[in-house]
Amino acid sequence: MPETSGDLVQGTLEMLVLKTLALEPMHGYGIALRLEQVSHGVFRINPGSLLPALSRLERAGRIKAEWRATENNRRARYYQLTPRGRKALAEERAQWDRQIAAINRILEA
Amino acid sequence: MVHNLIAGLRALFRRSRRNADISSELDSFLDESVQEKMRRGMTRDAALRAARAEIGSATSVRSKVWSAGWESTAESLLRDARFSVRQLRKTPGFTLTAILTLALGIGANAAIFTLVNAVLLGNLPVADPARLVRLGNDDNCCVNSGGYPDNDAYSLFSTDTWQQLRKNLPEFEDLATVESGFAWRPITVRRNGSQDAARSVMGEFVSGIYFRTFGLNPALGRLFAGSDDQAGAPFVAVMSYQNWHDNYASDPSVIGSTFWVNTKPVLVIGIAPRGFYGDRLINTPPDYYLPIQTMPAILGVDYVSDPNTQWLYIIGRLRPGIALAPLQTKINDLFRHIVASDPTYAGEKGKAALARAHIVLTPAGGGIRILQEEYQSNLHMLLWISGLVLLIACANIANLLLVRGVNRKAEMSLRTALGAARSRVVRQLLTESVVLSTISGIVGLLVAYLGTRALLAMAFPGDQNVPIDASPSLPVLLFACTLCLGTGILFGIAPAWIAARTQPADALRTGSRTTAAQGSLLQRSLVVLQAALSLVLLIGAGLFAQSLNKLQSTDLKLDARNRYIVHINPQAAGYRPSQLAPLYQAFEESFHAIPGVVHVGIATYTPMEDNNWSSGFRAEGTPGHTFGASHIQVSPEYFDSVGTRLLRGRPFAREDAPGTPTVAIVNETFVKDVFPPGTNPIGKRIGFSNPRDPLEFQIVGVVDDTVYTAVQWQDHRMVFFPLLQRPASNHGPIDTDISLYAGALVIQTAHPMPDMESIARQTLAAINPNLAIVKFQTFDQQIADRFADQRLIADLTTLFGALALLLATIGLYGVTAWTVARRTSEIGIRMALGAERRSVIAMVLRGALIQIVLGLAIGIPTAYFCVRYIESQLYDMKGINPGILLVAVVTLVLAAVIAGFIPARRAASIDPTEALRAE
Repeated sequence: MPETSGDLVQGTLEMLVLKTLALEPMHGYGIALRLEQVSHGVFRINPGSLLPALSRLERAGRIKAEWRATENNRRARYYQLTPRGRKALAEERAQWDRQIAAINRILEA
Repeated sequence: MVHNLIAGLRALFRRSRRNADISSELDSFLDESVQEKMRRGMTRDAALRAARAEIGSATSVRSKVWSAGWESTAESLLRDARFSVRQLRKTPGFTLTAILTLALGIGANAAIFTLVNAVLLGNLPVADPARLVRLGNDDNCCVNSGGYPDNDAYSLFSTDTWQQLRKNLPEFEDLATVESGFAWRPITVRRNGSQDAARSVMGEFVSGIYFRTFGLNPALGRLFAGSDDQAGAPFVAVMSYQNWHDNYASDPSVIGSTFWVNTKPVLVIGIAPRGFYGDRLINTPPDYYLPIQTMPAILGVDYVSDPNTQWLYIIGRLRPGIALAPLQTKINDLFRHIVASDPTYAGEKGKAALARAHIVLTPAGGGIRILQEEYQSNLHMLLWISGLVLLIACANIANLLLVRGVNRKAEMSLRTALGAARSRVVRQLLTESVVLSTISGIVGLLVAYLGTRALLAMAFPGDQNVPIDASPSLPVLLFACTLCLGTGILFGIAPAWIAARTQPADALRTGSRTTAAQGSLLQRSLVVLQAALSLVLLIGAGLFAQSLNKLQSTDLKLDARNRYIVHINPQAAGYRPSQLAPLYQAFEESFHAIPGVVHVGIATYTPMEDNNWSSGFRAEGTPGHTFGASHIQVSPEYFDSVGTRLLRGRPFAREDAPGTPTVAIVNETFVKDVFPPGTNPIGKRIGFSNPRDPLEFQIVGVVDDTVYTAVQWQDHRMVFFPLLQRPASNHGPIDTDISLYAGALVIQTAHPMPDMESIARQTLAAINPNLAIVKFQTFDQQIADRFADQRLIADLTTLFGALALLLATIGLYGVTAWTVARRTSEIGIRMALGAERRSVIAMVLRGALIQIVLGLAIGIPTAYFCVRYIESQLYDMKGINPGILLVAVVTLVLAAVIAGFIPARRAASIDPTEALRAE
């Protein structure tokens, strides 16, 4: 298994986190787990990458956090998308699509 | 952005809370991960192990989260800074020396720069000063008629010329004009109904569009309109904000009040804006502004509308986008056209002069630059000197930091060996220098603030109204900060570079026997440079001190002991020239009635005061020649009162009054210059230069060459007339003859009378309450005032020279002490092998003195080279006097011996066994 987060294109982790949170508020492990499942185990995010990313997003006002009880009745920090985060996700998504399309065109030329 | 800042600050100030947050989040992460793994069928232990392995070190995660925000960088910088402060406190000697050195260097520079900035670069506090232009370029002053100015460049104009220029120059939005010599014509003012005595203050007569030209709005009331400056208009005045604030407690009822100005009722209509100090930087800014057309009535002068008298400065506001060069040509043509009919330009010589006549346009954003012209060369020189001092200070800092850097090589090596990144070590050292220079900068600003105040007090003794702010302005702050940081970074880099090059293993292995050859040569060169520079400054200080000494020890051929000069202005007290005879008699009688008064002299001017009145003269027996001479009208007792000796003939007597034959007394230089050797001047006739006038004065006496105006006027021709005698050539009615107004009383007493000022005030008020004292000084003070500039320069160069010497001495001491410390073991071995204490001292001293001798070898030729630049500011001196050179060299060598001897003695007291064991 390669060091997964390092393989992520710079800045994409934050976009993926935003996308994940767009569905529902989640705690840190939930985000990591979901990213792993959806990517079929390609992206395994450890807390050393995830927590700084969450801290940066929170600082930028794209997500907000609060302590809540989990389904196992334990306390966890739940993250939730803010309107600004939703907007940022849309912008980054659009940019990402443009870049991917461009890269594909180059590779297929 | 703000959110980010606040969150960062919160994190910084609540570190433990933030860390706890991170920990509990990690815990919950671990928890969830374990639960998940157990759901997938792992045992609890296996799940815990796997989860822990995935998460890794909690500390590492925490530091990663921390470094995601800006606060971590800030924090590490702060930590570096705190560590630096700790390091600096560990070596108080070094820190104190460094901070003092830098603070003095920076402070001296910032102080001088504040002054230069305010005086030379500062703009008037007016709207858009860049569009202000002055017609004229020199400080020619006051009231002229006839004759051509220096270089045929005009700066003074008649009212008529101004009006015609204004009419024909649409390039100017406004072209205002001001009285050139208001500083010499104080006015006497008393508020109507006030019990206060009349005060002699500054009043400037200006044209009606004056304030509009500067784009100013009143602080209160209104400013002048064109209609205020018309013949027959009611008398009005605008008061300066400073005067309103200081003397009338900002009382709004001043507006609309009547003030008695030179006994004429004047209505105050407004207060000039705050901070406005007139059209020029001057130590006596106007307290009142008055319209020019009211000047004849208020000041009693007759030249306001005379087309042949030049007495105005012109300053205007250009329309946007007007180029100066074409305008210059147009103005010159226009000016020649306007003055062509002036009798001054009649005849062959006049025509040639007319062709050369021109006006130089000068940017006037800073106003009419009289003070600037006066102080420019001095300020530039001070800038150079303080720059040199800063250079010496920087060399010192460089030296200190180098020594410190080399001394800490082992420490740095150890840190590197323990795994500190090289960039981290360099950053630490840089932070240290920046911290050091920041502290020095703050202390330096304090020095600058106090220094500027001291400079202002030295430059303008006794004047509280100088419109120069002592607090360092924004440009000065920027200047000082740039200096600090530049110095800090520059000299932080050198030791950092040395440290970074170190191979840790090498440095640790060689231990205390490290040689530091690469630092040593640089250090020695720096000391040599310091010695050379301080020698130059010391020689400069010596030259200025000697120049001042020469000036002060000049024989002025007068006697200042127990003499008091009371400047008065009878015109301002309401006297017409025809009423002066009884007034002068009252002066003499009232002052003679005071016990202890010996002589009472009355004169238009007194010796060594900043004023004079000169004319051309002709003399019997020398046809076709005119001689320029200054002339003064004096009372019979005047010569005794100032201590001028009568050499021949008789003094003036009571009988030399109006109606008797007109007589004159001349000084010795006049006799020497005008008459052939051996002539007896008594009985000869002289007259004014106009060939139509008769030689109407008979010389009755010759007096000694008492010095008037300035020391440089030692051989100046002087003519004295009786106070009230009018020559026949003066045809006008007596009441237009302002030359009859006396300017000063000279009171000679039998013994010192410290309360003379209040006695004089009471005596004058008893004669007439409107008789205010314009200025009161002892004769000695009046003379000392004339040396104020030279004294300032001499004091400052001495101060800077001493500072430079002190810094160089500290530098030499530092390097010598360091060398001795490095060579402890070597000296120990020498002494163990039988070297005597004396020879050890000699060895160390020799090392120190070699640097000084090299410094002398560079400094002496440099001083000889530089002296040409200050020669023009020295009085009666050429080149460098060997005495001064000797004193400077001896001072420097003495300082070097002291700086070298302390470490030398320490070296000689090394105990050989101790030194060897220490290794």
